[in-house]
Amino acid sequence: MAAVTVTNGHTMTDSAGAAQRSGRVLAEGGSGGSAETWKRHIVRQLKNRDLSQHAMFQDLIRFYTQLLEKSNLAKGILSSSVRRPPADSSGLMSSLQLKKTTGELAYQVVELQQQIKIKECVLEEQHARLMEEECRLTGAFYARQEVREQVEQVKKKNGALKLEYDTLLEKQRVAETRLREAEDKGGHLLEDMIHLKQQAADRMNNLNERRSRARAMKLQKDLLSTARSKVTMDSSSSAPGSRSASPKNKVGEETTERRRTRLFRAQDPVIRLKVVKVYQGFLHFLRSASATSPRILTSIKELFDRKRRGRSVCSLEEDLMGPVGICLAARVPVRALQVLEAHEQGINAVRFSCSSDLLATGGTDRVIKLWEVRAGSMTHRTTLDGSTEGITCVEFDPTGSRVLAASYDKSALLWLLDDPVPKLTLTGHSRKVTAARFSSSFHRVVTGSADRTIRLWDLHRAACVQVAEVGSYCSDLVCSENCIISGHYDSKIRMWDTRTMNCLQEFPAQGKVTSLDISAEHRQLLSCCRDDCLQLVDLRRWSNERMCFRADGFKCGSDSTKAVISPDGCFLAAGSADGAVYIWNVSTGNLETRLPDKHSSSINAVSWSLSGEYVVSVDKSKWAILWSDI
Amino acid sequence: MADDKDVLRDVWFGRIPTCFTLNPDEVTEREAEPYYLLLPRVSYLTLVTDKVKKHFLKVMKAEDVEEMWFEYEGTPLKWHYPIGVLFDFHASNTVLPWNITVHFKNFPDRDLLHCPSTSVVEAHFMSSIKEADALKHKSQVVNDMQKKDHKQLWMGLQNDKFDQFWAINRKLMEYSTEEGGFRYIPFRIYQTMSDRPFFQKLFRPVSPEGNTHTLGDLLNEVFPAAVPNEGVATANLPF
Repeated sequence: MAAVTVTNGHTMTDSAGAAQRSGRVLAEGGSGGSAETWKRHIVRQLKNRDLSQHAMFQDLIRFYTQLLEKSNLAKGILSSSVRRPPADSSGLMSSLQLKKTTGELAYQVVELQQQIKIKECVLEEQHARLMEEECRLTGAFYARQEVREQVEQVKKKNGALKLEYDTLLEKQRVAETRLREAEDKGGHLLEDMIHLKQQAADRMNNLNERRSRARAMKLQKDLLSTARSKVTMDSSSSAPGSRSASPKNKVGEETTERRRTRLFRAQDPVIRLKVVKVYQGFLHFLRSASATSPRILTSIKELFDRKRRGRSVCSLEEDLMGPVGICLAARVPVRALQVLEAHEQGINAVRFSCSSDLLATGGTDRVIKLWEVRAGSMTHRTTLDGSTEGITCVEFDPTGSRVLAASYDKSALLWLLDDPVPKLTLTGHSRKVTAARFSSSFHRVVTGSADRTIRLWDLHRAACVQVAEVGSYCSDLVCSENCIISGHYDSKIRMWDTRTMNCLQEFPAQGKVTSLDISAEHRQLLSCCRDDCLQLVDLRRWSNERMCFRADGFKCGSDSTKAVISPDGCFLAAGSADGAVYIWNVSTGNLETRLPDKHSSSINAVSWSLSGEYVVSVDKSKWAILWSDI
Repeated sequence: MADDKDVLRDVWFGRIPTCFTLNPDEVTEREAEPYYLLLPRVSYLTLVTDKVKKHFLKVMKAEDVEEMWFEYEGTPLKWHYPIGVLFDFHASNTVLPWNITVHFKNFPDRDLLHCPSTSVVEAHFMSSIKEADALKHKSQVVNDMQKKDHKQLWMGLQNDKFDQFWAINRKLMEYSTEEGGFRYIPFRIYQTMSDRPFFQKLFRPVSPEGNTHTLGDLLNEVFPAAVPNEGVATANLPF
């Protein structure tokens, strides 16, 4: 809203009004060029108006307002101080004095005001400083609080630590006393053990002595019996001789007669040597006397030779390959024929001989027992001792005449069947021997040990021929033609060349390998692992094709649980931690049968007779069970 | 309108030097000093006299104060007239500064409107704007505006901000050239000696012959008495 005002007064004093009028007059003239002119007129007149009305008074009014404000301020201050004096002097003071004082006061006021201003400035400054200080103070206060809290925390922590320390100290004291007790106990135990060892050594000495004495007795008895048989033979064979010839024979007869009576009298072992001498003298006499009867001579010679050879390290017959029976059909056992307490402690290994009627078991009680299996029953035949620690593995040689065992005492031992004293002790491993097997070449054996080596031994020289460093605990091994296959705790099965002892192949298993078994025709390899699974691998094709056998409830009981292939290769047998024997069918891959409830503890090993008729299982608590299908 | 900017500025910044004196009848604690002020022509009295009120209230007791009003030589001044109109109407022939007497008692209800707050002034101002636009554009422009534009217009006036005011007011003053101007010219002619406070009539900016009308034509037609220099008339053209 713009208000343009036109004033037409009589006096024409308003220049703006005049401008409006003249502008209008010009506009009435109506020409295009004059439009700018009248506008300029209007502007000029408006400027004139402002000059007279605005510009003239502008400064005046501003100054006036300033003065007014100042005077108001002065008045406000004065009014309080000036009002009193009139009351005191009751109006007697002259106006001059009053003015003077007013002037002074005003001056003072101004001064004071200035001072006030300065003071205010100072005050403000101080306020600001105060605020700052307060801020800092609060900051410091907070910091102090924090520090205090920290101190508190540290104290608490210290307390807790102290407590802990105290309890630990207490524990340490208790542990120390316990340690002392344990040491005492250990000392006692050591003494006991030494005592026991001594006793065992004594017993062993006694046993050896008794044995040697028994041997001597036997020898003597043999001598006697031979001497006697000699006589009979002599008499019987000399009958035609006497018929054909000399009277010397009669003399011989007489002398033998005499000797015999002497021999009978010479029963006492003290004069045994004399007897032998006499006997030899008799032989000498015979040899010189009767050159006509060489058969008798050779027969006697043979008798002696055999005896001597029996004790020799090596004999000719060992180099002959014994006949190996082949089983046509294994029969799956169904019932336990016999349950017997076979050893004094746990039984670790069991093995049938190839003749199927002989069984060897090896136990923690350091002995190997040989059993005769006939007509569905086991009878104890002999005990083979000589190991100073528990037996881990036992095997017959293919002829069935020798027994090989691995022992905890870091050695492998070889017995002849009828001699309870080991013929050979193979020492060289630095830890327990876990497996010992006859190699395919007849006079060699292979052992695997916990010391991570596999050793090849020559029986002729009774020495270690080759050593293979494996790098992992060897738990079991088997021998095939020209190769050894070993199972290890690093879940690997390795194959070795017997000649070079190089690792030919290495393939993985699912867990620690506990045992290996090879089928009769050396085609299939069975491995048992700690993952409770049996694996069957075809050796002709080292492919990844392998059959796995599992069963509900089957659990591998130890790190040396042994599983076997049946002699015909159709079944697998293994003992479980639950005391049951599990038998799988190879062709179907399924569980054939489970024989439970006879063992009360974990089964360590099973063996299947070569005839396929019997299965024997042994457990950790000295029991052996004979199974059959009858 | 664009080339009229200097004219508009001069009109907007027109000032009248004024001296406010307190009515001697008022009860005061001490003598009241007169108060001088440059009043903007384009504004309302109650908008610009806050300082005056504050100045005089200092010397008065609170219980003696009623609504403030102004008087010039016995005539109460209507606050709802623009200040320039009031000055030209009542005091154009006096010696400057313009002497206005301030009253705080005996409010002349018959002559003046009450003005309790600036919102009343704002309402009056907006109604004038709308009336003028009804004449100029059939209210189209003012109705198309947003509330904030109205507010800006008012705040421009209240705070004496020329650019802020004209940013909005330009739209109100626009017209398309083919129409040749507004429909009607909004104006009022105030008269001192009459019963009627002012004249208003419909008046087109262009004559039927096509000539543009001038202020003279307007006065000739509406108020011929003013033309031959007789009597005192004030024309208020609200654009």
